[in-house]
Amino acid sequence: MKEELLGIAERAVKKAEGFGADQVEVYTSSSRTFSIEVENNSIKSASEQRDAGCGIRSVVGKKIGFAYVTTVQEDDLLEAAEMSVRLAKASLPDPDFVTLPSFDGAYPEVKGLYDQEIVDLDSEEVADIIIRAVDAARFRLEGMNVAVEAKVSSSTGTKVIVNSLGINGSADTTSIWMYTEPIIKEDGEQTSSYEVQLSRNLKEIHPEWIGKASAENTLSNLGAKIIEGGELPVVLAPFAVDTILGGGFAGAVNAEEVQYGRSYIADALGEEVSAQHLRIVDDGIMESGIGSRSFDAEGHPSQRTEILDNGVLKSLLHNSYTANKDNIESTGNASRAGYSGVPSISSSNFIVAPGKGTLDDLISEVGKGVLCRFTGDRPNMTTGDLSAMIMEGSYFENGEIKHPLRNTLIGINMRDLLKRVEMVGADTRVAFSIISPSVVIRSAQVTSG
Amino acid sequence: MEDLAHAAIEAAITTGSTFADVRIENTVTTIIEMTDGVTKKSIASRLKGAGIRAFIDGAWAFAQTTDLTIKGMRGTGESVAKLAKATKSKVNEKFQMDGPVFNDKIRFKPKKPFSDISVEEKIDYIKRIDEQPRAYDKRIVNTRTVYGDLWTELYIANSLGTCVSLENALPRIISVSTAKDGTNRQRAFKSYGVRGGFEKMELEQPQTIGQESAKIAIDLLSSVSAKGGTHDVIMDPVLNGVMVHEAFGHACEADNWPAHTTVLEDKVGECVGPDHLNLSDNPTMPGERGSFEYDWEGTKSKKRKLVKDGVLTELLHTLETAIRLDMEPNGAARAQSFMHVPLARMSNTLMEPGDWDVEEMIADTKDGVLLCSFNYGYTDPSKGQFMFQASHGYLIDNGEIGQMVRDVSLAGQILDVLAKIDAVGNDFRMDAGTCGKNGQMIPDMSGGPHARIRSIPVGGM
Repeated sequence: MKEELLGIAERAVKKAEGFGADQVEVYTSSSRTFSIEVENNSIKSASEQRDAGCGIRSVVGKKIGFAYVTTVQEDDLLEAAEMSVRLAKASLPDPDFVTLPSFDGAYPEVKGLYDQEIVDLDSEEVADIIIRAVDAARFRLEGMNVAVEAKVSSSTGTKVIVNSLGINGSADTTSIWMYTEPIIKEDGEQTSSYEVQLSRNLKEIHPEWIGKASAENTLSNLGAKIIEGGELPVVLAPFAVDTILGGGFAGAVNAEEVQYGRSYIADALGEEVSAQHLRIVDDGIMESGIGSRSFDAEGHPSQRTEILDNGVLKSLLHNSYTANKDNIESTGNASRAGYSGVPSISSSNFIVAPGKGTLDDLISEVGKGVLCRFTGDRPNMTTGDLSAMIMEGSYFENGEIKHPLRNTLIGINMRDLLKRVEMVGADTRVAFSIISPSVVIRSAQVTSG
Repeated sequence: MEDLAHAAIEAAITTGSTFADVRIENTVTTIIEMTDGVTKKSIASRLKGAGIRAFIDGAWAFAQTTDLTIKGMRGTGESVAKLAKATKSKVNEKFQMDGPVFNDKIRFKPKKPFSDISVEEKIDYIKRIDEQPRAYDKRIVNTRTVYGDLWTELYIANSLGTCVSLENALPRIISVSTAKDGTNRQRAFKSYGVRGGFEKMELEQPQTIGQESAKIAIDLLSSVSAKGGTHDVIMDPVLNGVMVHEAFGHACEADNWPAHTTVLEDKVGECVGPDHLNLSDNPTMPGERGSFEYDWEGTKSKKRKLVKDGVLTELLHTLETAIRLDMEPNGAARAQSFMHVPLARMSNTLMEPGDWDVEEMIADTKDGVLLCSFNYGYTDPSKGQFMFQASHGYLIDNGEIGQMVRDVSLAGQILDVLAKIDAVGNDFRMDAGTCGKNGQMIPDMSGGPHARIRSIPVGGM
């Protein structure tokens, strides 16, 4: 597949050059995703998605155009190449654009991104994995009125980036994720929770653990109450850290947002922006990382970048455009949503360095406050104001969990949140875009009613 | 088209499926994003392919292909049927598929098709809007204007005999302004989206949204963060639409019933709100962004009266949920593209107007907050919880509008929020949106009149 896609990409570069592009970049990929869904405790559907397509970025002077197509057939590629050049010619010149990236060295080798066991999985084995997780959840909730929803999805794919300046990268990767979500009804109350694992390797998926943990999370949500609000300490568990820091801080150190003055963290590079014990790196080359890759979405080599150290903002996340604009080296954080997206910027593996203690230790140390296990909210990226609903969480007192919460919001500005990080736990886990332990915020405005 | 679809359906049925359907799509889009007068993204795309589903005794399988040849379609039809067969033995709840049969050809002819407008003309148009915020006030430090148009040709067929071909045209324009005064930074966005050709973009409303987003961003410079607490809230039409969508619409999607994932499960036919409350989802409104004649399973669409006089009366159905719940199909199956499975979804979701004059509603509110426009919202129907955020608002003190506040979040429970609505305005407006579910994004609209919710938790700093 790799050779076929490389051939397609190289031909597409030539086609766009033939239409008059000065520089061309082609991203093409092919993937197979197999998934199974469970509804009300039983398998309901299976799907097999084979997706191959191609995105072409053409540069004419300082003008840029992009076109993509959901096939890799020759006539479609020709149309996309022509369209990308036509769009470039019609666009307005971008004075800050310098050049597409070039690189002729060797990409760093990143281990653990491809697992033959995932490639070899057949549909029966995938069904077995998800049924084991669902059964584990039901076993833990035996005797209750329970409906488990679940999904497993395994993918194998090849991606190729070629540009007219010599970039030539290709990679095979695998991934698998699975979640279970039990919904229980108990004494007229209905609630749910979930547990999820995602990995590049099959052996890191533990169906029984996912099922059991999702059941326990659900049980802990029963009997939710409101509390008297006020200024209270807030413990953010890893999934809450994921949305608040993984989304709300990684997005603020995106160099493009900073350059345009749209980020609440603008003008703060080199300054103290957080408590000293909050340390964050973006590591694109860690072994087996969900966000790891040898090269970024423009073919620039991946690297490990210190973001926060000793409370000081050390670096932003760059792609080639923002790096050229600031006249520095790219950090290799160009990202794109497959062949259908133009390169933007995002974190790779955003890692919060561990401190000390389990979640229970943190709660016991803090004494009284609220625990936020999950929220869907991100801050306003320009003002930094965060108003987040505790989708799942609890109130604790005297170092012990008292009851889950309903209708409860936490409010704090991100600049204050960063400075008020009082403790960082050691209960590190992968939570979607972030790898983080629990984090304690000294105080935030809690509203409940 | 017809022969391709039938090749896949026939292969699936011959391989043992009892039901099969096909969507063949050919979509062309243009997206142009301008920032500070420079085109940042100029994107053209073509989505071309087929999605095929096979069904046996309660088991579903789905596959997609971009090989639009008789051989390719037959091969995918066969393999998807085999996958359904393999899944069949693991299914607990058996049922058979059935539904109404439709044969129709819908031609949608906009006055100015997007393909007749050159890229240069589109860029000129965007440039004019992108210039407005900078001209409005020198404290505007960044502008972002996004134009998108989408032309879709869709062919849907199933083994019951349905054959429907559809066309759709959706233009959209978004303006985002960032204002800065000292260290105070504020951001505001405005969007406009409808169903139609480029001629809709030449109306006054879309052509002035640059100014409108700039005005809010500048006004926000003198706003304060809201104080958290339980308040009486008046929602403007845009935010009310978001409330109806998040707090109630999602929980009415009928796939929640077989899955037991909505707190409304036992509420069909029951009172869920005051008797002056009427909520609808209506894909038949002419010219709206969430409108369509047939859904993505080829079922003719109709207006759904979700809540009628305070009673939950109707749900949003796919063919499957209608069969399993023994209710009438109402054409609510939608998919993001041929690469996705149709799900029960909303279209244009709204609260029907009531009889309160808006000025009177405000004057009648002693101590509260008027909330306008929205940043985002989300919900978890299985927990019965939702939240959404207004982009800005105004404190109401003794019936009078006062200080501007920003980023105000509301949290609530699906089962008790409607009962707290005690005043529904006699005005009405809809706003364009995009709704996400299971990773699928679809265009929609939501709206209503101004409406008041009594004592609801409002998040603050």
